[in-house]
Amino acid sequence: MTDRPAPLALTLGEPAGIGPDVALAAWLNRGAATPPFLLLGDPIFLQRRAKTLGLDVPIAVVAPSEASSAFSRFLPVVDLGLPVTTAPGRPDASSAPAAIAAIDRAVALTMAGEAAAVVTCPIAKHVLTAAGFPDPGHTEYLARLAARRTGKPATPVMMLWSPELAVVPVTIHIAIAAVPAALTTDLIVETGRLLDRDLRRRFGLAKPRIAVAGLDPHAGESGTIGTADRDVVTPAVTALVTEGIVARGPLPADTLFHDAARKTYDAALCMYHDQALIPIKMIAFDHAVNVTLGLPFVRTSPDHGTAFELAGTGRADPSSLIAALGLAGRLAAADAAAKGAGSAGTAG
Amino acid sequence: MKTIGMNTIGLTMGDPAGIGPEVICKALGALPADERKATVVIGDPLFMERARGLVRANFSFVPYGDTVPEGAVPLLAIDAPNRDAIVPGKLSADAGEAGCRCVKKAVEMALAGEIDVICTASLNKTAVRMAGYDLNGHAGLLALYTGVKKNYAVLACPQFAVIHVSTHVSLAQAVELCRTERILETIRVAQRHVLTTGVAKPRVAIAGLNPHAGEGGLYGTEDDDFVAPAVAAARAEGIDAHGPIPGDVVFQQAIDGKFEIVVAQFHDQGHIAAKLVGGHDTVNITAGLPILRTSVDHGTAFDIAWKGVADPSNMKAAIAMARRMKPVAG
Repeated sequence: MTDRPAPLALTLGEPAGIGPDVALAAWLNRGAATPPFLLLGDPIFLQRRAKTLGLDVPIAVVAPSEASSAFSRFLPVVDLGLPVTTAPGRPDASSAPAAIAAIDRAVALTMAGEAAAVVTCPIAKHVLTAAGFPDPGHTEYLARLAARRTGKPATPVMMLWSPELAVVPVTIHIAIAAVPAALTTDLIVETGRLLDRDLRRRFGLAKPRIAVAGLDPHAGESGTIGTADRDVVTPAVTALVTEGIVARGPLPADTLFHDAARKTYDAALCMYHDQALIPIKMIAFDHAVNVTLGLPFVRTSPDHGTAFELAGTGRADPSSLIAALGLAGRLAAADAAAKGAGSAGTAG
Repeated sequence: MKTIGMNTIGLTMGDPAGIGPEVICKALGALPADERKATVVIGDPLFMERARGLVRANFSFVPYGDTVPEGAVPLLAIDAPNRDAIVPGKLSADAGEAGCRCVKKAVEMALAGEIDVICTASLNKTAVRMAGYDLNGHAGLLALYTGVKKNYAVLACPQFAVIHVSTHVSLAQAVELCRTERILETIRVAQRHVLTTGVAKPRVAIAGLNPHAGEGGLYGTEDDDFVAPAVAAARAEGIDAHGPIPGDVVFQQAIDGKFEIVVAQFHDQGHIAAKLVGGHDTVNITAGLPILRTSVDHGTAFDIAWKGVADPSNMKAAIAMARRMKPVAG
């Protein structure tokens, strides 16, 4: 007997932001490609926001196991027992416990197999930090939760994905001046390895092709424009290739992202924030998805922030969240299949 | 020779072993007769005639200075040295020298007011060096022949233009060059460039150096310490300058029509955006010179030279850009 698939666990995020708006809109705009999801949040708050937005969204408070069957008729909400009263655009500290509890619960459900994957709406860092949130962002917190549950440290890697382009920045939120020192051969190899593993296991690519961007203009032009590409990036590519990974580079970044170039690889490993973010935002402005690789579960999120100024106005675009839900469903199915294959091999 | 109301363009042949002569003839063939007449090819007559034959061009060349029959193109002959030694697709000092001579002549004509804009086909930097010029391709030649040492490469796609605070230096060095005076000078050149394209009140965006333009100092202090003061100084001079705007946001804003030009802080920041959006329509412009100059944004492509298969669309875009540029006072 195959049951209905486990639902995705969607967190509400910062309630004063557009998370609730796009979550409600994602359910209303659900299509065949939208996997069933449950929303972790306060049902009364959600009803109120739906009314503010003039959206007709029937909400059902459910147990996680009931969510998938309810999904076609109701937006299934798992009540965390933490009421939220925050008004659109006006974040306040009272909502922090609910926002954190939603993340905790999403991870717990997913690691217990009651949910297929974690999808998160944006949080407001300053609100959570004031409430004692220990990490700089979602990703680090998710890694902390994963490590706590598995007893093994998790190295999260950020990927930005769209059907047209997938990019992984090796260094992310650090000053450009700090990039050359932070960029080591080991770090590039480790990130490339993780990327390769998740592209196989979760994206279903038998032989993923990784393009490695150069750090300097023209990828250093054989050491004449900086030495990092020759001395740091090139050895990393060689090491990845030695491990059997299909990696190429360092490649000049300015000719790496046009249509013809993109056909030659499945993901681009970029050396710093703007190198990855400029092309993905230009190519997939409204539908790029943030994917966290390297965790023991699948996690995606929309590639936008809380956008306080749009909350409650009905002008928030749910495209990125819809894309994030669709991708999470696809990755979780592949992940489950890989796990199944793995356990079939060892179960005897 | 000059046509009233239309720019006269001096079109340099480039390295004759490369695709320059071919893409020039293809592009000329696609121009209306009045535009052809206002275009002077500066090149070796033998190679230009060969290229005309190669592409089965629907026009003829007439010597520069002669009466131009309907549909013909004026050609100013600059003879190449050792023509017989110049072989399609082959790197050589003679081909490099041939290309350089055309650039020299074009600059002289532009400085004398005989032509309004120079549009150049590609040179090969190595061939230029082999010919004895200890400089870096076109940028170096233009500096040599105009006597103005510093010039700026502008990449222009139909949606926006981009200029760089630093270009062919390592990222580490680009950080060192990101300083107020240098950024301010680049903003000034950016504004002047946009004025030459006929926009009366240029809007200039300045990209941040760091992720999220530093996020209030969290990801580096250069945006607060050097970029923001440069923007403030530019505004105090009356330039409509905005920034620092995060690199992953600013180009979309330019595409949306908020700015004509973006000042990028380093090579890949601007090049990734311009090449992604513009494709074959992205052309090169040299700003900061006493003359106007546009160029193709590709190389000599020796591997496909003289086979009749080179794509002229970038040359067409470079000519179209040259046609609409006007000098501005100051």
